[in-house]
Amino acid sequence: MNRKNFLSSVITAGLSLPVLPGMAAAGKKLIDEPQDPIIPPYLKAGDTIGITCPAGYIMLADIQPAIQQMESWGLKVRVGDTVGKRDFSFGGGDDDRTRDLQQMLDDPGIKAIMCARGGYGAVRLVDKLNFSRFATHPKWVIGFSDITVLHSHLSRNYGIASIHSKMCNSFPDDWNKAEPVQVETILSIKKALFGETMQYTAMPSAFNRSGKATGRLAGGNLKTIESLSGSASDIRTENKILFVEDTGEYLYSIDRMFWNLQRSGKLSGLSGLIVGGFKIKPDDPGEEFGRTVQDIVLEKIKGYSYPVCFDFPVGHQRNNFALKCGIRHQLSVGSDGVQLTEVRH
Amino acid sequence: MIKIPPYLQPGDTIGIVCPAGYMARERAQTCIDTLQSWGYQVKTGSTLGSDSTNYFSGTDDERLRDLQQIIDDDSVKAILCARGGYGVSRIIDRIDFRSFKKAPKWIIGFSDITVLHSHIYSRYKTASLHAPMAGAFNDGGATNEYVLSLKQALEGRKARYTCDTHEFNNRGEAVGDLVGGNLSLIAHLIGSDSDIKTRGRILFLEDVGEYRYNIDRMFHQLKRSGKLEKLAGLIIGGFSDMKDTERPFGESTEEIIYDLVKEYDYPICFNFPVSHAKENYALKVGVGYKLKVGKLKVVLEE
Repeated sequence: MNRKNFLSSVITAGLSLPVLPGMAAAGKKLIDEPQDPIIPPYLKAGDTIGITCPAGYIMLADIQPAIQQMESWGLKVRVGDTVGKRDFSFGGGDDDRTRDLQQMLDDPGIKAIMCARGGYGAVRLVDKLNFSRFATHPKWVIGFSDITVLHSHLSRNYGIASIHSKMCNSFPDDWNKAEPVQVETILSIKKALFGETMQYTAMPSAFNRSGKATGRLAGGNLKTIESLSGSASDIRTENKILFVEDTGEYLYSIDRMFWNLQRSGKLSGLSGLIVGGFKIKPDDPGEEFGRTVQDIVLEKIKGYSYPVCFDFPVGHQRNNFALKCGIRHQLSVGSDGVQLTEVRH
Repeated sequence: MIKIPPYLQPGDTIGIVCPAGYMARERAQTCIDTLQSWGYQVKTGSTLGSDSTNYFSGTDDERLRDLQQIIDDDSVKAILCARGGYGVSRIIDRIDFRSFKKAPKWIIGFSDITVLHSHIYSRYKTASLHAPMAGAFNDGGATNEYVLSLKQALEGRKARYTCDTHEFNNRGEAVGDLVGGNLSLIAHLIGSDSDIKTRGRILFLEDVGEYRYNIDRMFHQLKRSGKLEKLAGLIIGGFSDMKDTERPFGESTEEIIYDLVKEYDYPICFNFPVSHAKENYALKVGVGYKLKVGKLKVVLEE
């Protein structure tokens, strides 16, 4: 560990101390996540991928493009029984969704699990899941948005890598008419699943902070990350490259969430920061916030020197590439652009 | 032991500032007049009716300086935040509480001001007032029992509030320090230096304008961070103007909360008059209360 990293982890530990007595008093034990990530076996042709709905509901017809596409990759697809189920906004009741995901976690015949869509609901079942078999036989869990709960939980408690990417509801209906960015982003899921070394580029931005960083990727949806603060799924960020994205939030709310990250010590020990897409809910008339997302972010991290990039292709948008959470990457931010490259273990 | 700031005497001065959102001075005039009619002098800070043109009542530095001055001003015995909105989180770590620690004074407000209540309770073990702000005095509000409960609190009279029962209430009696405020802010503070401990305490929560799924998510966060399991009691206030998604959540806000707390043995009451609506009694954060959730009524007594 170099001096910079050592110092930042000391600082982070100090900052997070006030949390610990409360946690201990509540009888909750925060587990320190393992130093080395556990990488589930990559997929090969003939393997089976499961599709389940741990959060919002989806109709069977709406996942047909995803099924066809993944079958064209040589995969067999197992459709869970929560697909087509509906309990108001959820893909079935909590028990239905827990059971479906649990079966897929435990079934040795299933090598990866794609969440059909996000929405809201993963936090309602994460504590009901039994990860003991999964922890000894890990497999890829795939999704984003509300699925950030699972990424953060798996990393925090088991050190198991997972894939932050588009889900079944983002596969184009007609592959032949799909735009290049749709094709490329969907194929990035295939690359990630089949074990290719991932590489990404992003355009330069005047707000970027140049530099090079190496660290494990962690992150996801900002609102979801904030809502995990203090819980057993709380994200660990020290020495990591953190990526965040969000949609439909007011600027003031984004500001408040970045203060939560800052004030809970989650920004001080980073090795790098990746800001993805932020779809803003416009300010109400007379309530103009007067700051951009770039202002909001740069203000919170002005005391730290790690590289930062904006407009990275991750988020609730078409250019949303598959990222391997928990795996080491090198981030290089320069005046000519941004590169993120997976570091093979 | 919790520090209780001195109650006010006739002739004492109340300072009014806007540490978060903007408020025009005329919107606070009835409040100023009323506080004077209660026998207090009023000193207003530069952030009330400022020339700010955006969301905030001033830049972070301006809001910080105004709040700091009024905290440090010996002649000011209580600080009424004219309104909430959003903004205290942006300055809380830069406020110097040294003079406040030596000579605590009542800090009054709710909503975004929950950050101040939680911070000074958690860091300085000092009581504060979760109570109506300037806007509540307008449109005839100055004489309602909720605004008057602020007057009584400032005078040091012990409060005793009652409200109707609710089908989801869990009957029983609890004694403990009262903590809480706006749910979104309590959740937002988790993991920070202003985070509150809830064990053995009576927790009260209210919110406004949130999506139902988000209420569900925040209660899951409280529960998963251990904030609900060892309470002495739980007071669910008003959840006003709740929003729902295009695909409905399928439960009322009360049902959402009830589902998540029904496993606990401690007394719980719903629809207590603490809220963003008119029904908003002054509550002393950090002070010991007795909560009695009975068959016929609910009593909260200092």
